[in-house]
Amino acid sequence: MTLFAVFADLREQTAAGGLPFWDDGEMSFDPDFENLVKLYYRDLYRFGLSLTGSDADAADLTQETFYIWANKGHQLENPASAKGWLFTTLHREFLKICRRRKRVAFEPIDEGADNFPHVSTDVVNLIDAQKLLDVLGQIEEDFRAPLVLYYIEDLSYKEIGEVLAIPLGTVQSRIARAKIRLFRLLTEATPTR
Amino acid sequence: MNTTEAKEKLLLYRGSIDDVDPQFQEALRLARRDPELAEWLRTQSQCDQAIRSTLRGIEPPRDLSEKIIRNRPIPFRRDWKQILQLAAAIVISAGITAISLELWQRQRHPLGQGHEIIVRGEVLDMTCYIAYNLSGPEHAACARDCIRSGLPVGIKSEDGKVYLLTSRAAHSVNAELADYAAKIVTIRGKEAMRDGFAQLQVEEIRKF
Repeated sequence: MTLFAVFADLREQTAAGGLPFWDDGEMSFDPDFENLVKLYYRDLYRFGLSLTGSDADAADLTQETFYIWANKGHQLENPASAKGWLFTTLHREFLKICRRRKRVAFEPIDEGADNFPHVSTDVVNLIDAQKLLDVLGQIEEDFRAPLVLYYIEDLSYKEIGEVLAIPLGTVQSRIARAKIRLFRLLTEATPTR
Repeated sequence: MNTTEAKEKLLLYRGSIDDVDPQFQEALRLARRDPELAEWLRTQSQCDQAIRSTLRGIEPPRDLSEKIIRNRPIPFRRDWKQILQLAAAIVISAGITAISLELWQRQRHPLGQGHEIIVRGEVLDMTCYIAYNLSGPEHAACARDCIRSGLPVGIKSEDGKVYLLTSRAAHSVNAELADYAAKIVTIRGKEAMRDGFAQLQVEEIRKF
């Protein structure tokens, strides 16, 4: 390509209503980014809140996730997998925080299929968001993360496995055990009427 | 499949979203035949729905989405092919300008020489500076890479004037200055102007 061709190429980009390659127009407005934020920031925040139990940490994790997306999201080959990518990134950032902080030791979950708790809808209906988060906080993180993704519901089991980097069978086993544990804790935490 | 095995399966059943998943079909058929299992499944589903509603009722801080959008970084997408083309264009333009001016000066002043000056200022990666107006400590890592890879290097003096740095043959100003990208150095050299484009042939570099 000749020198004139380089400048001609740049001039054509601008004349065609586009912008030169060094200015992709994102400085002021990026509808794709804004739409992505509006679509997923709530669920990401809820996931972050259930993992950390802290409003501030959940907000930071959500912001950090979109910050990373803004820098690296364009590398994603399949735009349809943006949602999974965002949840994966948030979870990875959460694990980084866990490594930096002292981890809380949890009792291992040993809930077998023969331990299904009897839980009534009345009990569960009495639970408010804060109590639910408190109870979720008592469940080991390895089990809590798939359980919350299960309840957020937008992800298939396969996608949950990809987000958490664990096999499908492990995802389902952890969700089942975590659910039993959750129901047991909810029953214990809620005074019967 | 007995009732306990069916419960194990149905514990993961999320209603319509999982209706097409074959792993639940046998357990769901059993639940249609077994009233006790059907009642258990109904209660489970109601509990799940209540928990889901509670979780979905959690609202993020009101200004969170605005903050995310406002604090979005502007990505610098490196299209190396185009950057190199631009760098080549700058170098060739500078070269053509230099040769033209040299010829012109030879005609006007047969032995026109630049005079020696001392410039103190920030080391610039000229490609990013000219194309994107990028400089300063936030851009230091990129500038270092660009300079190290041979892209044009410059200096922005404290009074704001920018010089393209050139060197004598067999002396690589890029190698010497790459680690000082975006830092302040003092350079002694010969200043020359080519059609208003300032360049400084480096004689000595003092780094601090």
